[in-house]
Amino acid sequence: MVLDDQTVDCLIQLFNDSDHVVVRSAIGNYETTMAHDSHFQMHWNNEQVTVPGIKAPPGSSEAVDAITTASRPISGGDAYSDYVKTRNEFQGGVTHGPAELQYYLSTEPDYLAQQVAANWNGDVRDDQTNLALGTSYGWDSIDPAVDDDTRQGHATKKTWHGNAVATRILTPGTILRFGLELNLVEGLQHNPYRNVYAGGTNVPERHPDHRSRRDLFLKLNQALPNRSSLKFSYRFYNDDWGIDSHELGATLSQYVTHGLFASWDYRWYTQTAADFWRAEYLSVTGVDGYLTGDYRMARLASHLFGVTLDADLAAFDVRTPVLGSMGVKGSWERYFNSNNYSANFVTAQVTYRF
Amino acid sequence: MSASRTTIARATRRLAPALLLLLLGTGCAQVRAYQRERLTDPIMSFDAVKKDAARRTHALDAREGSTGGNGGAGGGCACN
Repeated sequence: MVLDDQTVDCLIQLFNDSDHVVVRSAIGNYETTMAHDSHFQMHWNNEQVTVPGIKAPPGSSEAVDAITTASRPISGGDAYSDYVKTRNEFQGGVTHGPAELQYYLSTEPDYLAQQVAANWNGDVRDDQTNLALGTSYGWDSIDPAVDDDTRQGHATKKTWHGNAVATRILTPGTILRFGLELNLVEGLQHNPYRNVYAGGTNVPERHPDHRSRRDLFLKLNQALPNRSSLKFSYRFYNDDWGIDSHELGATLSQYVTHGLFASWDYRWYTQTAADFWRAEYLSVTGVDGYLTGDYRMARLASHLFGVTLDADLAAFDVRTPVLGSMGVKGSWERYFNSNNYSANFVTAQVTYRF
Repeated sequence: MSASRTTIARATRRLAPALLLLLLGTGCAQVRAYQRERLTDPIMSFDAVKKDAARRTHALDAREGSTGGNGGAGGGCACN
């Protein structure tokens, strides 16, 4: 077998937020072209997540929201200490002509996720338009760790996904992409470690077992003079839990010199609350039996600003062959939302082409 | 299962007309292969930012109530 056009990239991403959750991700990607119009790609990610200890006694109303979306158990005397867990992620895929098959695996001490996906794409209308269809099926196995104030046993979650995407060349400097996606989710969809303060006491969080999610998105990339570009995106999302959301994004990219460009990024997001979300629950049965302490179920707005520098060293006059096959990239993103939550994403990436 | 099928059918009925309108409403100008050089530049290509977009979607899925926008499914993990 002949392997050609091999590319390896390594990436480190650091995340920290206003709740003092820290995530370190070490990511690697490998891609190669094989014979007979086939490609192989592999992705792996080793992630270390540190969730801080709670700030109030376990089971108290003050502790209910002490943990955000990061999952951690509270057991024994360790509730006030940091909780560290490791997640490993692997993805492999083969592309042959217009067809692609992928397998995805994610493991952490209390969660195993697997997924198979199939995609197809082809050019139509004089190669001006590309149509892509994709589907995937995911099955998750959840085994919560010992927790002193919730009792959730083994659970499962299954996700079916389907999408249709069209990409159309409008002019030599304008390209448009739009698509729709559907997700059907069945199974455990709440945090097994989280309690909700309801009816004067703490009860385990409970979300519906079924969720139907769909979205429609549109992206437009426009080339500008002086080797720059402007990208716009819009997404509308809706689900049967009552959440509607709108997302708008814009990216301005500009070459600083040959082989080096900078990008400035902005994203605005807003959503409505889920039907069963309440700031305060008067009864332990919540709304139709459902209760949530998850701020993602509430009305929410967020902003994200980002800056990226991307250099292809082959474009510079480097005399070392190794450097001439490399690319480097660095980015910083600042995220904040209406729940007084903010986060930083810092990423450094090195790419090597054989 | 029938409830799921009904949900899919309802969502498709709502979203498909919009997609069809977009498909039919776009221009018909022929852009030849030799005119597409700018479209393959990293600052214009959708593929060049595919992995970055997937990574961002994964991170924001854990912080917001919606998902999607990349034409692909994300992983099913319950991480941070």
